[in-house]
Amino acid sequence: MFSDYAALIVLLPVIAFVLTLFLGKKLPHGGAYLPIAAIAGSFIISLGTFLEIYPTDGIVQQSMPWFAGMNLGILIDPLAVVMLMMVSFVSLLIHIYAVGYMSHDPAKPRYFAETSLFTAAMLSVILSDNILQFFISWELVGLCSFLLIGFWYHKPSAAAAAKKAFLVTRVGDVMFLAGIVLLYVNMSEIITSRAFSVGPENFILQFKTMFEAIPLINPTQLTYITLLFFGGAIGKSGQFPLHGWLPDAMEGPTTVSALIHAATMVTAGVYLVARTFPMFAATPATLSAGVPDSLLIVAYVGGFTALFAATMGLVMNDIKRVLAYSTVSQLGYMMLALGTAGAVVGAQAVGISMFHLISHAFFKALLFLCAGSVIHAVGTNDIREMGGLFGKMKITGTTMFIAALALAGIGIPFINIGTAGFFSKDMIIEKAFEYGELKGDFIPYAFAIIAALLTSIYIFRLWFMAFTGKPRSERHSHESPGVMTRPLMILALFALFFGFAHLGFYDYLNKNFELMTGEKAALEGESLQMSPIIVLLPVIVGVLGLLISYAIYHRRMLDMSKLVSTQNPLYKLLLNRYYEPKIGADIIGVKLTHDVVAQSGEFVDRKIIDGLVIDNIIGNTLFKLGEFVRKLQTGVVQNYASVTILGIGLLIIILRIKFGGT
Amino acid sequence: MAALISLMIAIPLLGAIITFLTRTREQARSIALLTSGLSLVISLILFSRFDSSISTIQFGESYPWIASLGVSLKFGLDGIGMPLVLLSNIVIPLTVLFAWGETKQANQFYGLILLELVGVLGVFTSLDFFVFYIFWEIVLIPMYFLISIWGGPRKDYSAIKFFIYTHVASLVMLLAIFSLYFNAWQVSGVPNFDMFYLLKNYSVIESPLLKDAIFLALLFGFLVKMPAVPFHTWLPDAHVEAPTAGSVILAALLLKMGGYGLFRVILPILPFSGSPGKLISLMAIIGVLSILYGTFLALAQRDLKKMVAYSSISHMGYVTLGAAALIPLSVSGAMFQQFSHGLITAVLFMSCGVIQHSAGTRIIHDLGGIAKHMPKLAFLMLAGFLASLGLPGMSGFIAEFLILVNSYFTLPTFVILALFGIVFTAGYHLWAMQRAVFGTYNEKLGHIHDGADYGIASMAILVLLIIFFGLNPNPVLTMMTTNANQLLNFVVLRGVIT
Repeated sequence: MFSDYAALIVLLPVIAFVLTLFLGKKLPHGGAYLPIAAIAGSFIISLGTFLEIYPTDGIVQQSMPWFAGMNLGILIDPLAVVMLMMVSFVSLLIHIYAVGYMSHDPAKPRYFAETSLFTAAMLSVILSDNILQFFISWELVGLCSFLLIGFWYHKPSAAAAAKKAFLVTRVGDVMFLAGIVLLYVNMSEIITSRAFSVGPENFILQFKTMFEAIPLINPTQLTYITLLFFGGAIGKSGQFPLHGWLPDAMEGPTTVSALIHAATMVTAGVYLVARTFPMFAATPATLSAGVPDSLLIVAYVGGFTALFAATMGLVMNDIKRVLAYSTVSQLGYMMLALGTAGAVVGAQAVGISMFHLISHAFFKALLFLCAGSVIHAVGTNDIREMGGLFGKMKITGTTMFIAALALAGIGIPFINIGTAGFFSKDMIIEKAFEYGELKGDFIPYAFAIIAALLTSIYIFRLWFMAFTGKPRSERHSHESPGVMTRPLMILALFALFFGFAHLGFYDYLNKNFELMTGEKAALEGESLQMSPIIVLLPVIVGVLGLLISYAIYHRRMLDMSKLVSTQNPLYKLLLNRYYEPKIGADIIGVKLTHDVVAQSGEFVDRKIIDGLVIDNIIGNTLFKLGEFVRKLQTGVVQNYASVTILGIGLLIIILRIKFGGT
Repeated sequence: MAALISLMIAIPLLGAIITFLTRTREQARSIALLTSGLSLVISLILFSRFDSSISTIQFGESYPWIASLGVSLKFGLDGIGMPLVLLSNIVIPLTVLFAWGETKQANQFYGLILLELVGVLGVFTSLDFFVFYIFWEIVLIPMYFLISIWGGPRKDYSAIKFFIYTHVASLVMLLAIFSLYFNAWQVSGVPNFDMFYLLKNYSVIESPLLKDAIFLALLFGFLVKMPAVPFHTWLPDAHVEAPTAGSVILAALLLKMGGYGLFRVILPILPFSGSPGKLISLMAIIGVLSILYGTFLALAQRDLKKMVAYSSISHMGYVTLGAAALIPLSVSGAMFQQFSHGLITAVLFMSCGVIQHSAGTRIIHDLGGIAKHMPKLAFLMLAGFLASLGLPGMSGFIAEFLILVNSYFTLPTFVILALFGIVFTAGYHLWAMQRAVFGTYNEKLGHIHDGADYGIASMAILVLLIIFFGLNPNPVLTMMTTNANQLLNFVVLRGVIT
């Protein structure tokens, strides 16, 4: 029953977007209840669909032709339905929270309209049944992030950050588009060669059709296609080297950051790789052709990003920036999972990665909303100016500590009790180890385990600096209202207990591959018997990080002033974010593209093509000719018009005289 | 009801004459809106009766004119012309509405706009090469006056440059038309200017050199109009000085005549030319060069309107590229790009016009934060800019997607080059928005006000159309595809591409 109305999952928030945009001013809270009701509706339909298809391992598929052989359609399989539920649920909580958080902003209708569209676009990414619709929705997600990061567009920094987000992700989007071009051409050649028949119910860019055609696609081409798709994912999911936009994206309202980081944007990149995983999984065969296999690249980019971003998280002083680097790093883990677990356990990697994606969504949304609550209370983003907030903000403090535990992956191994992150992240680290055993390459594992230590240090540094010690500012802070704290408590419950769903989750997601490609997910390799130290290590580093931060930032047992100084080149490098903003915006953006290429183009255009050739050489010749004509004619410029008509008339007369006889 | 096409052309012609004779601005603009609106109604009737599944000429009309020379008034529509006729009839009434507040010599102003409509409708419907050429030239004259009377400080230079440049190109094209004409005459012994007849007889020309010369002369005529790099330098100057209405018509309709020529004239004769392979490469190079060159030049501009002018060059490059790829869907994509760009560029030039009017400047550096006082304009301008940078959900994306995907079959290297331009295209659009519209309000501008309601209304209608055709391109795309398929039959038959 619910599945028949699956299109409403997207359409409800779209309708809410239009209504809020035009009627929001006349409604209470800027029309916030419209998107809230709409997204609640999306969540209910998603949940209802899940309950319908879960018992029967069914999928929902609806399709209609669109233009030029392409289609619009809906595909809800296990992969999609878990994402749909998470996105609509987390987005709903963030919307409710925003009623309180945004209550003083005069532009509320625009805010709620845009977040509603943002949610709709992301939901549309998830349930697309073809890669074109996926791409279109993906671009609309990018548009909404642009609008919302630049929500306070009168702030120059917000306008700049919005542009940066759009352009940097656009670099990825172009790669994604190039991948679609290449895929389309290959599919089309397969279809015209009649090696593969497309029924009336199949469309060229449908996932179903694509997956069926995988064995027929040239493996080298398949590698290029998947790497180009991954390029898109790098942009959207803030992976190195296209990560720079995400920390700057905090220029928008904190609720927008929560949406971007948890529900509606950055996960799209991971989802793209998960969605097209059968294609990635089919690529290793090309190793012999001298082309690296796509999963290896996914693993290395992800692993490196996990570590690289965590190092910057250590030194940031802006509470939202710490969390932003944390997101970049955690997305790296998800990519790492797809790459390494993909090589070890095949399609089960999707479940492992997605489980971390969803548990991360809960605790990262929670972290951002807690940060919002703190910022709301103290009026600053700088953790050096906070301190001692726990006494005044018990709910925020407690829920944020829970989220930090989840992020650090704290739990008790062997008896399997722990936070969501304990189950999801430790699984990834274990698979990275298995990958090392299998391939003799422990570099991804090293990335993962070192990043885990740094993660724990930076997140507890944040918590201890904000909530313990003496207050470092005079401002009177207070706990946030119920409309804001209740979503925190709900998310905290998920951050604590969602992990226990891991076995059922993995089982359910494993069916996805089978449903999509008709083959059973490769279940080779019984889980290796790992030494206890390997199982324990992720938790050990998590606890170690907590203790280090406790010692440094709470008990002040170590003097950090030597390390934390601009005299220290390493600290300076990290604080300047490896000079990424300088290299990206200043050197590549302004200096190279604008000052050198575009300006020299302008010079060529004006001085050479136009100035020299047209004006001087051709123009002067014409001018002299004109001087001559002027003697014959009146010399009034406007007579050129009559000359034309006269010219045509003369031609007619000449023609008549010459050929008139016939 | 026969003779709908000639009625559609006659009404704005009559309207133009009456408008010239009116004494008040009120009468002039009312008649202009009414007659262009009537013309729109007729084109909608034609559009609704159009059969998208056949590629032959529909609503054909033919009247004898100069029998001794084989000239006759032949009109008709197919999937190449119909969408552009619709576009012209959408853009002109909206331009009149946008320019509702014009005070200077209003009767002439609106009359010239109507004459432009007559000219472009004639070009898009004529099936006699001679008549086609007359309309092609007619279009120049009102535009010359629009620039030279209502233009900016350097209007004389720009108007003359526009006129001479495009006129020279037209004359080169005319020479080619005459060669075709005399050649056909020699073969059959009967003079006939019928367009399809002349194009069909292109293949009987014996000398490959002459064939290529004719081809290049025609191509030159069309590429200057589009305009394609390196024949584009008249365009930025013309736009900078032209009044907004002039710029809108120039970019939305006049440039489309060049693209129309590619589909109507160039593609049918291409397979029969002396060296089709080289000519295809030439077109592809010019297309991609225009895309990239236009993009980087747009990035360098300080004047918002000049930036939009260069963006037109870049977008029209897609038309050349799609046409050169010779794949049915790349050619349909190129046709759709023409239609889509007409709508989008109109919004962009109108935005520039509103800003110029309110803030007194279009220099990006001198603006800043104008969204604060011009929220409606900022909203519509952003929509137009997003459409222009190819945002999915809007018409430009469909066109560029079709062109890029399908051109890859035959011109992979060129597509890869064009893809590089996409990031920079987004770059100059958003950078301009960031500096001119967002950020802190530049207090030096004083207190500025939002665009007038009629201007905002016509921009809003265009934006809605852009979104409509972005979500559902089929109403015009289907007929384009039908004709593109038919056009490329010969290409395949001649083995020009495999």
